[in-house]
Amino acid sequence: MKKVLLITSLVILPVNSLLAASYTVDPAHTYVSFAINHLGFSTMRGKFNQQSGSLEYDHSSKKASVTIEIDAASIDTGHVKRDQHLTSPDFLNAVEHPTITFKSTKAGWNGNKLASVTGNLTILGVSKPVTLQVDSINCGEHPFSKKQVCGFDATASIKRSEFGVNYGLPGIGEVLDLQIELEASRN
Amino acid sequence: MEQLLDRPEFQSALIPFFLAMLVYSGLKKVTAGAWIWALFAAFLVSAGLINGVTVTPLTGTRKIILLVLGALILAGLAPYLIRQVKLQRAAAPVLTILALLWVFGKVVARMEITAIVLFLAGGVGLVLWLLWTFERIANDDARFHGAGLSLLLGTGLSATAAASALLGQLALSLAAASGGVLLAWVLRGKATGPGRVSASISTLPYVLSTALIGLAAVIFARLPWYALIPLATIPLVTNLVPVKSDSRFFNALVNSLPGLIIALVVSVWVWQTGSSNSSGY
Repeated sequence: MKKVLLITSLVILPVNSLLAASYTVDPAHTYVSFAINHLGFSTMRGKFNQQSGSLEYDHSSKKASVTIEIDAASIDTGHVKRDQHLTSPDFLNAVEHPTITFKSTKAGWNGNKLASVTGNLTILGVSKPVTLQVDSINCGEHPFSKKQVCGFDATASIKRSEFGVNYGLPGIGEVLDLQIELEASRN
Repeated sequence: MEQLLDRPEFQSALIPFFLAMLVYSGLKKVTAGAWIWALFAAFLVSAGLINGVTVTPLTGTRKIILLVLGALILAGLAPYLIRQVKLQRAAAPVLTILALLWVFGKVVARMEITAIVLFLAGGVGLVLWLLWTFERIANDDARFHGAGLSLLLGTGLSATAAASALLGQLALSLAAASGGVLLAWVLRGKATGPGRVSASISTLPYVLSTALIGLAAVIFARLPWYALIPLATIPLVTNLVPVKSDSRFFNALVNSLPGLIIALVVSVWVWQTGSSNSSGY
């Protein structure tokens, strides 16, 4: 019997280590924000208030993937009329394209640390490869819920015209700096 | 020069206005459909400046641009392509309703059944009403283009006020082109009436563009649906103007005035009550 257990664990353990742990994005501790130049005068900032997604992560086997879905209509720049304009066909066209998605295809590692995540960002139905630079990633037991939690901070820059968001160019900046701070709880 | 072309007043007012005047003046001796080709040239250039020369991603707005250009080509070529007037009469409502389904079908399909029924009833009703009322004035240049100018101006200003400058600019560029045609008609006029083309098909450019842009401003932006009701009365009100003078200038002015007043009142009302697309932010 002991032999059977030993053989079984020898077979299962390596397989298990290849399967990254699955996490679900915690919308209450996830922030997708952006910054864009406004008419050459200043930087305008905003965020999205509703997002969901999932994370697969295991640093020992160097497996990582992330999927984020953002509700385009939840854009919030602290100005209601501007937000309404940003969800109109001039910009995000939120009625026709209600969801902005990021689906990773490749992870870059710096030693045991996740350094970047490359994937397809889809805005207005247009998908383009984008690389998120991961500034920090930390996993561990949540002190209160006792669940395993992973969180990361990542940044990327995109050219909005590549996604067909052309309105207001060049006055309203072409380059959009994205910032994602994400927490996810293990399933 | 490039900076000027980026400015909305050039893209959707000055350029389409003067281009339409020029094309109309050049073609008016060649074809009765000179006004159609004037609108086509003006809208082609304006839409290219406003939206860029691209159809991807194929959003509802870009579908509207393609459909308006297609409607203008069809109206211009109808006398040669569709010789049967009955067929021309049937083509206008069928094509406009198919256009509505292509632009809005995917979005409307995600709505609740009540909203779908309301959209279909309202959209089809609006199209049939506009076709019927425009057809009544299609042989009177002053009324026809006066109503077209007013309706497009009202739709454009309202769409702009309802948080979509893009849709607004498209309608305004057509309004400016229509104004250019009307002024050219006043200055060096010749009948622009539908000729052998049925009145229905000649109304297609005005009906299709206002219906599509108006409904897009309701569905994709925040134009209150009931703002379309007073706007839709413009062709009817224009037809009720009892004035008929020998002076083209007087006819154009008097027949455009009621529609322009309705358009401006609705636009100011939408601006004040709804969300406004202000450059202040």
